[in-house]
Amino acid sequence: MLDSIPSFARLVAELAKFPGIGKKTATRLAFFLLRQPRAEAEALAGAILELKEKIGFCSRCFHITESDPCPICTDPGRDEGLLCVVEQPQDLIAIERSRSFRGRYHVLQGALSPLDGIGPDQLRFSELLQRLKGGAVRELLVATNFTVEGDATALYLAGQVRPLGIRVTRLAHGIPTGSDLEFVDDATVNRAVEGRRDL
Amino acid sequence: MHPQKSEAIILQHIDYGESDRIVTFFTPEQGLLKGFARGARKSRKRFGAALEPFSGVRLIWRQRPNSSLLNLQEAELLDLRDGLRRDLKALALAAYGCELVAALFGEGGAHPEVYAMLKSLLDQLNVDGGCAEYRLLLELRLLRLSGHEPHLLHCAVCGGALPEQVHFSVEQDGSLCPACRVPGARPVSLATLGSLARCRETPADRFAGFHLGATTLGEGAPLCTAALDAQLPRRIKSREFLDRLEPLPPAPGGAGHS
Repeated sequence: MLDSIPSFARLVAELAKFPGIGKKTATRLAFFLLRQPRAEAEALAGAILELKEKIGFCSRCFHITESDPCPICTDPGRDEGLLCVVEQPQDLIAIERSRSFRGRYHVLQGALSPLDGIGPDQLRFSELLQRLKGGAVRELLVATNFTVEGDATALYLAGQVRPLGIRVTRLAHGIPTGSDLEFVDDATVNRAVEGRRDL
Repeated sequence: MHPQKSEAIILQHIDYGESDRIVTFFTPEQGLLKGFARGARKSRKRFGAALEPFSGVRLIWRQRPNSSLLNLQEAELLDLRDGLRRDLKALALAAYGCELVAALFGEGGAHPEVYAMLKSLLDQLNVDGGCAEYRLLLELRLLRLSGHEPHLLHCAVCGGALPEQVHFSVEQDGSLCPACRVPGARPVSLATLGSLARCRETPADRFAGFHLGATTLGEGAPLCTAALDAQLPRRIKSREFLDRLEPLPPAPGGAGHS
């Protein structure tokens, strides 16, 4: 059906490459763009091109940035001695959104996954160890996800970093704020009990 | 389609789209199956942590029309095996075991003994951590359960008795007497072959209580890995990570792979 309108079919095919977008949704988005004024479509196309032209990875922390080093790495108000390790730039953004951390970051660009054949060499581990050997960091906060991959990454990191004499900590794990205990799964309750603290 | 229910071990999951997951799991009566878990990434209410790899679960599913993927309806977590997440070697061995089972026993067919063996391995790793003995036992048992156990205590070619120092060849499917030795066969002591044979005769789901000497591990572990490799249809991705954490012990005398 779409073959008779090649330009429309091309746009649908491109949109369908996005994560979570199937052909049906891609078609709906294409019709939406068709109805928009030309300026709107140009703004979208321009934004995509600008993203590809301007954004790269910080050579120090591997977060996305328009300038290298990134604003977080050059911010003099941040604690040099505190380094937070995350899997992806989205995780860094989540921690920044909480405004609870004022140290610096290191983005591993993934997590160890034995089942997928992803080992330390595919991630930014060697760059992290180089930063740590610089001597300024006194605590490494491991903020990887609480999945098998995130836990494997945290264990590996702890094994590599402890011999350097740097304190290694992990994000706390437990009951989400605002939730009822009776609806929380057993594994989370178990970790929350293990991680209990004095009041 | 009526819903089906079974105990299972989660072998792996991959994210699908923004909120769904495709889950590979192993059941005692139907072997390896794959299911679609709608909303498993975003909503914790329906599946919770039950679909995490290595978990013991009770699953309910339905067949999907025109699809080989099952539709996962419910998952009750029986055992997360949280101890695996505190020991990297245990976690790497658990991944290795799950991947080997998936590679050797693909979709279709009941494998209750394999299920019992994998469950027992994961339980043992969960409480005891990882060690070289468990890897050797896992490989030895999988060779046996998949019907590929090598000849150990007699010559694989002539069937004759073996002297103290013998050789082992994956290509010849086992131990070789001096007369039948082929180029590339690896030297191995009769004592090691005896230890492997005794381990092989123990119940497949028993992992606790084995203490193997350095010679048995040094000679036996590379031998089992090489014998298993010859039967595998594809590369085992978790092997590299496991070898990095705990390299195979060096074979005494510097024997190489055949």
